[in-house]
Amino acid sequence: MEETTTATTTPIVRVEALNKKFGELHVLKDVDMQVAPGEVVAIIGPSGSGKSTFLRCLNRLEEPTSGQIYVDQEEITGDAVDLPKVRRNIGMIFQHLNLFPHMTAIDNVMEGPRTVLKSSRSKAREAAVQLLDKVGLLDKIDVKPAQLSGGQQQRVAIARALAMQPKVMLFDEVTSALDPELVGEVLSTMKQLADDGMTMLVVTHEMSFGEKVADRVVMFDEGIIIEEGAPEQIFSRASNERTQRFLSQLHWGGT
Amino acid sequence: MCQLAAQEIPDALTLRVSLTYETSPSLQEATTVNYEWEFDVVWENFPFLLSGVGTTVGLAILSMLAGGVLGMAVALARISRLRILRVPAYCYTELFRTTPIVVQIMWVYWVLPILAGVTLSGFQTGLVALSLNVAAFMAEIYRAGIMSINRGQTEASLALGMTSSQMMRRIIIPQAITRMIPPMGTMWVSLFKDTAIISAIGVTELMFQAQYLAVDTYRPVEIFTITAVIYFVITYPQSLGVNFLYKKFRTQE
Ligand SMILES: Nc1ncnc2c1ncn2[C@@H]1O[C@H](COP(=O)(O)OP(=O)(O)OP(=O)(O)O)[C@@H](O)[C@H]1O
Ligand SMILES: [Mg+2]
Repeated sequence: MEETTTATTTPIVRVEALNKKFGELHVLKDVDMQVAPGEVVAIIGPSGSGKSTFLRCLNRLEEPTSGQIYVDQEEITGDAVDLPKVRRNIGMIFQHLNLFPHMTAIDNVMEGPRTVLKSSRSKAREAAVQLLDKVGLLDKIDVKPAQLSGGQQQRVAIARALAMQPKVMLFDEVTSALDPELVGEVLSTMKQLADDGMTMLVVTHEMSFGEKVADRVVMFDEGIIIEEGAPEQIFSRASNERTQRFLSQLHWGGT
Repeated sequence: MCQLAAQEIPDALTLRVSLTYETSPSLQEATTVNYEWEFDVVWENFPFLLSGVGTTVGLAILSMLAGGVLGMAVALARISRLRILRVPAYCYTELFRTTPIVVQIMWVYWVLPILAGVTLSGFQTGLVALSLNVAAFMAEIYRAGIMSINRGQTEASLALGMTSSQMMRRIIIPQAITRMIPPMGTMWVSLFKDTAIISAIGVTELMFQAQYLAVDTYRPVEIFTITAVIYFVITYPQSLGVNFLYKKFRTQE
């Protein structure tokens, strides 16, 4: 596998020989990955290749079968770690819309700081207002999720995760559940986040995002990283035949 | 025949027997066409009859509160990760949901004193038995409410760094509660009616007073008619309230 351009900096995420089995099903097979601070990694691959499972192992929503994961030099695998504490540093946005429906947008954003970090109400509120402004939803502060469009809900979810001031953000097909016309607003929020220097691991079928925003594209197939590299390299001259086939099925790149 | 002084309230079982076999002469001769209704005897004894209502209401409220608290503990045990908590909680709820409530009352009345070595008054027995019964049903209501909350809510909470208890308190229970309230209302109405069963162990609630008067006055037809009306008058508004809750919380979803 190719060395990436960021090999010299200390990685903020380091995954070593990660394995995950669901019973007999071997979903992740000795996966290694390093992510540099501020890097945006797009993870692509066919359905069932283990992309979600990989992402969910990174904040231990899924329990790795073996292997080590380090976030900001600290090992987060093993029995000894304090999981809630580990997860504070790792924001995650999901495919399914899962804002807390009994709370307004701003209460959603304040919930983490208030309940988990025990921030004062005024401090949490001030930060939440800023974040909602950042995702362009200042006018929706007091609105409940049911009154928001899917795209707006995902933007609030991004603000909610950012409120914990995470070191890394994980995105699992966050636009897949949205109507096509709502995809753009979420992607542009993510791009803005990337421009601000956030470290992001993004599982996506939106190849345009991979091409325009990602620093590196990683191709999963059957629990293995079969190819990775800069977007222009993967999208225009992928060396692996299965990557080429996958991209051509999406009518993207290749020849 | 059956002359009862207020002090010597008979053993509950004797009362039942006497009630079955010693009805009034007028009743024995009666047919549907010629029975003469005689409600005066009910009105004369109305305060006595109503004196049971307080006990009925009190018992229902106390059982609901005690059962509600105990049921929450059982529900949490039932969804716990620990088998050692889960299995007994499961056995408990299934046992109490699959045996007749009158058996549970008799069991607490007769068996508990022997097993636990405590003597309980009739009222205490009723309270214990009904609370245990309510707890089993409430546990299932809580559990169903909690389980009905989308898995995405759990994941979102955990991903934010919440502990399980923070997640329960802040995210799951506040959402689940609106789904629990309507079945709780149904539970309450049926509990209210079920309290009548503890007349069987001699607690002087509404039904017991009715049975007592029926024997004492030879007028079971009138007494039980009015007793049914009293239950109806108290329960019907509650039932309407429950229907209202169902509508209200359905539209809120
Ligand atoms: N909790 C689970 N129990 C058993 N099998 C699971 C579980 N979660 C995922 N799997 C299986 O693991 C494999 C990888 O699933 P995963 O969701 O990681 O794929 P994916 O690459 O994210 O696919 P998609 O693009 O469809 O989201 C699949 O075969 C899936 O059925
Ligand atoms: Mg997936």
